[in-house]
Amino acid sequence: MDINLLFKIAAIGILVAVLHQVLVRAGREDQAMMTTLGGLIIVLTMVIKEISSLFNTVRTIFNL
Amino acid sequence: MEIVKILGIGLISVILIIVIKQYKPEFSVYISLIAGVIIILLIIDKITGIIGLLTALSTKVSINREFLEILLKITGIAILTEFAVSICKDLGESSIANKIDLGGKILIISISIPIISSLLESVIEILP
Repeated sequence: MDINLLFKIAAIGILVAVLHQVLVRAGREDQAMMTTLGGLIIVLTMVIKEISSLFNTVRTIFNL
Repeated sequence: MEIVKILGIGLISVILIIVIKQYKPEFSVYISLIAGVIIILLIIDKITGIIGLLTALSTKVSINREFLEILLKITGIAILTEFAVSICKDLGESSIANKIDLGGKILIISISIPIISSLLESVIEILP
């Protein structure tokens, strides 16, 4: 769970950046924006899942 | 042995952030968030050990169980608010960081009202 998640997010970031450049060069700005947004949403869901698991563990441990 | 894992994750995420920052600055936020979450989850089982020791000691020394609960709640709130405040400060949003800090402090004070009142009662008993 721990370290490959970091690499996954970095890989998605670089992929989105490259795709954005390629699509912009190919003249399809709208699709470039779409891929950026798609990558953003994927990473956001992963990050939110991790943060919610952190909050739940801390809540159960300190019984907040 | 845990410290090596924590240092590794921290350094790797810093390197990744530097790489990502040139292409997509917003992804560096996600990497720092995930690194923070992973490091805290790593030390959580150490914290449970400490809490177990505290509860065991408290039964021996007959500390009021309720005070220990409040103490644990306060530490939990402190950990979470510090986590959020440092993330906000990283992004330069120090005003939001201060609001979160203020909220955390107010919550801690509101939770520790029973302790304060019982402290006052014991002080009043001592005074002639």
